[in-house]
Amino acid sequence: MGKKITFFIILGWVLLLIGDRVDELRVYQGAQIAMYTIALASIVLLTGYSGQVSLGNGAMMAVGGYAAALTLNNLGSPVWFAFVMAVVVSALFGAFLGAAAARLSGPYLAGTTLALAVGLPEIANQFAFLGGVPGILFDVGLPPARFGEEFTQYKWFFWIATFIALIALFITSNILQSRYGRTWRAIRSNSLAAELSGVHSGRMKILAFTISSALAGLAGAVLAMTISLVAPGAYTLALSFALVTGAVLAGVSSLPGVVFGALILVAIPEVADVLANRWGGGENLNNYLPGLIVSVLLILSVIFTPNGPGENLRKHHHKKM
Amino acid sequence: MQKLLETFLIGLSTGSIYALMSLALVLVWRSTRVVNFAQAGQAMLSTYIGFEIASRSEVFWLGLLFAIAAGALLGAGVDFFFMRVLFKHAVSGPAAVVAPVIATLGLLGLIRSIVGLTWGGEFKSIKSPASTDGFTIGETTIPFSALNLLIIVTVFVILIALAIIFQRTNLGLSLRASAYAPEIAQLAGIRTARTRTIGWAIAGGVGGVAGMLVTSFNFLSPYSLDLLLVFGFIAAVIGGLESMVGSVVGALILGIALTFILNYVGTSLVFIGGFVVLIVVLLVKPDGIMARGKVRRG
Repeated sequence: MGKKITFFIILGWVLLLIGDRVDELRVYQGAQIAMYTIALASIVLLTGYSGQVSLGNGAMMAVGGYAAALTLNNLGSPVWFAFVMAVVVSALFGAFLGAAAARLSGPYLAGTTLALAVGLPEIANQFAFLGGVPGILFDVGLPPARFGEEFTQYKWFFWIATFIALIALFITSNILQSRYGRTWRAIRSNSLAAELSGVHSGRMKILAFTISSALAGLAGAVLAMTISLVAPGAYTLALSFALVTGAVLAGVSSLPGVVFGALILVAIPEVADVLANRWGGGENLNNYLPGLIVSVLLILSVIFTPNGPGENLRKHHHKKM
Repeated sequence: MQKLLETFLIGLSTGSIYALMSLALVLVWRSTRVVNFAQAGQAMLSTYIGFEIASRSEVFWLGLLFAIAAGALLGAGVDFFFMRVLFKHAVSGPAAVVAPVIATLGLLGLIRSIVGLTWGGEFKSIKSPASTDGFTIGETTIPFSALNLLIIVTVFVILIALAIIFQRTNLGLSLRASAYAPEIAQLAGIRTARTRTIGWAIAGGVGGVAGMLVTSFNFLSPYSLDLLLVFGFIAAVIGGLESMVGSVVGALILGIALTFILNYVGTSLVFIGGFVVLIVVLLVKPDGIMARGKVRRG
C-alpha cells in the first residue's frame, strides 16, 4: 500500500514537471488524456472485470457533467464539491439503472445503455434547466494567484484533471485488487460456480455498474471542465463508441492499459486531421474520417486481439519457452 | 373519442415500423445469440441505396425492392465475412462474452462512416408514395393519412409472407430448428451455418424495409435510424427477445403507447416514455410478455 502511494505521488510529480516543459496544446491534450483515463478505467472495471458491456458511458459522463455544473452554478459551492456531486449523482443513477438491467445477463445492459446514449441528447434538449443545445457553463475559475502570472488556464485544468485521475486510478486499482475485484472476475468466468460458492452475483453486478458509473460521471465532470461547458453535443454516441474502442485497445481487463488507450483516443483526431488534409480535405472527410478510424481499430482489435495487445505478446512468449 | 381513435391508428402505423426493426433484431438474436446493433447501420446503408434508386426512377416501390435486396445481401455478408471470422477468433479470455456485441458496435460505426463519406451528412428525403394529408371523414380531417395506411398494409404483407416462410416451408422449419437446438438440427442434416446466414439475410431485408418506410415521411441522415434501433430493441425486450410474435406485439404496444404520450402529454416525454417502458419491463417482466414459464436469458 505504502509503495503504491509513493508510486502515484512520484508519477504525479513527473507529470507536473512534464506539464511545465511542453506547449499549451500538449498541456490541453494532457488534460484530455487524464479525462479519458478515468472514463476508460470505468469501462475496464465494468467490462474487463464484471463481464458486462455498457455502450452508453458517454451518457453516464453527461450525467456527471450536468450534476457538476448544476451544483456549481446553483449552489455556489466550492469546485471540489461539484466534482463530488458528479460522482454521487452518477453513482445513484447507475445504481438505479443497474438494478433494472445489470442483474440480467446478456444483451440487456448493452441495449439499455445504448438507448440511453442515443436518447440523452434529446432529453437534454427538452428541458430548460439543462440549457438545451447550447448547454450550461461550467467554470472552475482562474488558477490561484500564488502560482504566478505564467500559470495558464489550461495548465490549471491539466493539474486538476491529473490530480483527479491519479486519485481515481489509485482507488480503482485498490478496488480491483480487493475481494470485490476477485469476486467480479469469478462471476465473469463462471457465474454459476461463483453463485455456488456463495456469491450474490446480481448484487455484485449492480455494485460494479454503480462504481463504473461513478467513475464515468467523474470523467464527465472533468471533460466539462476542460471545455468550460456542459452541452449535449459533448457527450455523443460517438464518444461512447470511442470509449469502448479505447478500452478494447487497452486490453479490457488491464488497468495500466487505460493510459495507452487514452493516448490513442487523443491521437486519433490528430492523425485523422493529417490524413484528411493529405487526401485533399473536404467536409465529409473531416467529419467522418475519425469515426472510420475508430471503427476500423475497434473491429480489428476485437477480432484479432480481443483481450488486448498484451495477451498476444504473452502467448507468443509462452510458445517460445 | 375521435382523438382516441386517431391516436390509436397513428400508433399502429408507427408501431408497425418498429415491428420490422424488432423482428430483425429477434431473428438474429435467436440464431446467433447476438443483439445486432449494426442492424441500424445495415438498414441505413440499404435505405441510402433505396433512396438513390427511388429518387432517380421516381418510383418509391422500386427503391423499396432495391433496399430489400441490398439489406439481404448486406445481412448475409455481415454474417459470412464478419461474424464467422469473429466466432473463429474470439473464443476465450475476459473479452469472450462481450466481443460479439462490441463487434456489432464497431460495424455500426464503420457503416455510418462509410455512408457519411459517400453521401455526406445533409438530410435527404424521398417523395412519399402516398398522400401525407389526413383522411377527411364527413367534415373533419384527421391526422391519419393514406401514407399511414400504406405503411400498415406494407408491414402486414411482409409479416404474412414471413409467417408463411417460417410455418409452411422447409426453409422455415430449418430456420426454427437451428435457432431452437443448433446441434440437434445439425445432426438431423440441416446445414446450420448456411441457415444462419439466410436468417441474417432475411433480417437485413426486413431492416431495409423499416428504413425505407421511416424515410417515406422523415429525413434520411447517417443518424436518422438510431432511434428506430432503440425503439426496435425496446419492443424486442417487451416481447422477450426470443419470440417473433412477441416482438411484433411488443412493437405495436410500444408504438401506440408512445403516440398516446405524444398526443396527450407532449413531445418532450416520448423518449423518456420509451425508456421508462424498457426499465419497467426489465424490472417487472424481464422474460417478456410472451414468456411461458422459465426461458433462458441469454
